[in-house]
Amino acid sequence: MATNDSTTNVKRLQVRRYKPEENPETHYLNQEKGLWAWLTTVDHKKIGLMYLGAIAFFFFVGGVLALLLRTELLTPARSFMDADVYNQVFTLHGAIMIFFFLIPAGPAVLGNFILPLQLGAKDVAFPRLNLASFYIYVIGAVFTLVAIFTGGVDTGWTFYTPYSATTGGNVMAMTFGVFILGFSSILTGMNFIVTIHKMRAPGITWNKLPLNMWALYATSIIQILATPVLAITLLLLTMERALGIGIFDPALGGDPVLYQHFFWFYSHPAVYIMIVPGFGVISEVISTFSRKIIFGYWAIALSSLAIAFIGFLVWGHHMFTAGQSSLANMVFSFLTFLVGIPTGIKIFNWLATMYKGSIDMKTPMLYAMVFLFLFTLGGFTGIMLGALSVDIHLHDTYYVVAHFHYVMMGGMVMAFLAGLHYWWPKIFGKMYSEFWAKISLGLLFIGFNMTFLPQFVMGAQGMPRRYFNYIDQFQSFHQFSTIGAYVMGVAFVIMAGYMLHSLMKGKPASANPWGSRALEWQTSSPPDLHNFHHTPVVINGPYDYHKPMSEFQLGIATSHNGHGHHDHETVNVPKTEKEQA
Amino acid sequence: MSQTSSTEEKLDHLKHYFVDSDQQFEASKLGMWVFLVTEILFFGGLFVAYIVYRAWYPELFLLASEELDAFWGMVNTFVLIGSSLTVAMAIRSAQLNQIRGLIINLWITIGLAITFMVIKYFEYSEKFAKGIVPGSAYSYEGVAHEKANIFFSIYYMMTGLHGLHVIIGIGLMIWLVIKAKKKVFHSGYYTPVEITGLYWHLVDVIWIFLFPLLYLID
Amino acid sequence: MSGHHISSARFLWGVAIVLFFLTFLTVAVTWIYIPGPWNVVVAIAIATVKALIVSAFFMNLYWDSKFNILLFVMSIAFFLLMIGITLLDTLFRVDPIPSF
Repeated sequence: MATNDSTTNVKRLQVRRYKPEENPETHYLNQEKGLWAWLTTVDHKKIGLMYLGAIAFFFFVGGVLALLLRTELLTPARSFMDADVYNQVFTLHGAIMIFFFLIPAGPAVLGNFILPLQLGAKDVAFPRLNLASFYIYVIGAVFTLVAIFTGGVDTGWTFYTPYSATTGGNVMAMTFGVFILGFSSILTGMNFIVTIHKMRAPGITWNKLPLNMWALYATSIIQILATPVLAITLLLLTMERALGIGIFDPALGGDPVLYQHFFWFYSHPAVYIMIVPGFGVISEVISTFSRKIIFGYWAIALSSLAIAFIGFLVWGHHMFTAGQSSLANMVFSFLTFLVGIPTGIKIFNWLATMYKGSIDMKTPMLYAMVFLFLFTLGGFTGIMLGALSVDIHLHDTYYVVAHFHYVMMGGMVMAFLAGLHYWWPKIFGKMYSEFWAKISLGLLFIGFNMTFLPQFVMGAQGMPRRYFNYIDQFQSFHQFSTIGAYVMGVAFVIMAGYMLHSLMKGKPASANPWGSRALEWQTSSPPDLHNFHHTPVVINGPYDYHKPMSEFQLGIATSHNGHGHHDHETVNVPKTEKEQA
Repeated sequence: MSQTSSTEEKLDHLKHYFVDSDQQFEASKLGMWVFLVTEILFFGGLFVAYIVYRAWYPELFLLASEELDAFWGMVNTFVLIGSSLTVAMAIRSAQLNQIRGLIINLWITIGLAITFMVIKYFEYSEKFAKGIVPGSAYSYEGVAHEKANIFFSIYYMMTGLHGLHVIIGIGLMIWLVIKAKKKVFHSGYYTPVEITGLYWHLVDVIWIFLFPLLYLID
Repeated sequence: MSGHHISSARFLWGVAIVLFFLTFLTVAVTWIYIPGPWNVVVAIAIATVKALIVSAFFMNLYWDSKFNILLFVMSIAFFLLMIGITLLDTLFRVDPIPSF
């Protein structure tokens, strides 16, 4: 199948080489002018950037909340905020970071920008739905802000019943906000699945799909299968609070553990919505900076799908101590170990890709290596928590907190930053300072481990999570952890600094500064509003570094610029492939 | 379809980022199917609650379902299946370029959908009058089971969300009628009719399960 | 692969009449006594047949691309997964709902 159109199996295309234009005069950032054009754009790249702005804002808010929490924990009992305020702050930190940062960070920001470029498409399949997904996200965010300013929420990000059905504050606005947010996530997933299926450029068969696409594909499948269950869960919870329908409330005859089943049926797969796009980024970065074909292409591609599937079988490991039947406990504990297999396959293949490659220690590559280190630690501690007997001891302690942050911050945030630094020249057409980027990364790595390594020890010794107070023996751990958090804060300030500097005064980036073979680098930086001036044609895999660059810059040879519809020109043009101008 | 020569084919509907009409049609339909997957799992959550509680309290479901009138449930099933038929006929009309038939079939569908909602309204109001309401205000004494409120919570959530989908469906049909009157659809472009039809059939399928599960327990 | 199957009016009416008949049947079986869990099994079986007929012939899955069928099957599979694993807990608890 040469193209998306399957009416003929073999189709001959006349191709020629298109070298990407260096530093183009017009590109997607300046082709439409004015704020209104930005707010109503249906261009996937601009929508991705608007998402980037939104998640950067929420990452800042969530980060400040985290620093407040850590500051409060410098001393036992009250340092500067009350216990009630503390409860609200950790709830908001969790809810904002998960629902407003981690979930959109992979698909909606990096995915939105890169996916059509890597497929050689002009846009996603449903651009208007894509814009709608952004505004739905904004509406969800507004509801959350309303919740914060009208009483706050102190349930923890999990909204467990019966507490969430009876506590004060404005839980309803918050759950309704997250409910709305789910639709945004569903629309993104739907768009990506259809785009990957129907809009690949000529020559991109399933075995030439970049691994980032496989990762986003797996993510989208989780999004569309799991998110509706979150929607119904939160709707039932909202009705529980509004009317007292009793399905989850034991006071009315309901079962609170059933709520946890519903919630984790979404929320466990949701952690894979957060991390799997990161896996895709890491695959791209490691291959590019090792100058080497990816090791085990199909193993990495299929392990993404395997993770997506197994992720649906293990939700009960969050409920080992919640009162579910011991049979379910055993089954869930066993199934949880299975997740380690595809993840291990990925780590192995990445390391094998690096082996004997000519590794270039640019910032994105360093981020990828930090990811490998931290994520492996996070993964192993996850296996420990999945073991039933160990979890009974460690459940709801700081050990869980540390594990989660190693996986999510050490894993996903590092992978996201790797992707952001990797595609930054493509997105903005500017380079950033390698020096300051490496300083910032070094501080981040040190600060991260200072913050979360002590929490493993604390947790194993019995420090419960979400507690405002603690006994004196934990104070030195807590203080060390807090200092680590400040170091991370400094690292992020430096990052914001050099990124702003790059936007204002950065050196212009070339079309392909890393010498990558992937399709998104074969157009100008920043790309044209319609991504390519031609219809790209792909004959090699995205990681074939042993083949010359000229074979990666092909497009259908036509007189027009590839816009509009010109069926007669793309069909049955008798000519051999591989002919370069 | 793709064999139609491009000179006589109307292409106003074709978006610039698609290669041809077929690609656009296939993409829209695939998108709708993906959306239907989310709908199935959305209702799936409620079915899980139903099954869990029915496995725990089979006698509750036996007692409480007697409050529901199987006759009107059956009438509503006929109404919805009939509307599925008319939607299928509407799509057929569009495929054959019979715009008048398309509009008539859509109006019949809307009529049937409204009939469904009217019957639902009378069912609800009859129960409200007895004190069978969703939530803690439940005050009916006629069902001799301490968890009767849970059954009716599930009943109201399931039929309520289904009813909401019917109302959304009515809105979509009216939108289709307006577009059909503007001569937007023809045999080469009827994608919105087709995918709204898919949505409507799914609403029908969900009711096909709700009817025996809620009304026909004996 | 083409999504442009056109059914004849006769065929669509035939499908609807089968569905009407099955609806009547599912009500009719409640008039006779079927013991134990089998009444539920019969009701669900008839509903499943009806749903399959609607999805195959009204929603045109019978003529549709395989991936659309796969999507439909997958959504059912994941629903069964959700209920199946949840029942592993709820059916095997010592005390179904903790009393308050």
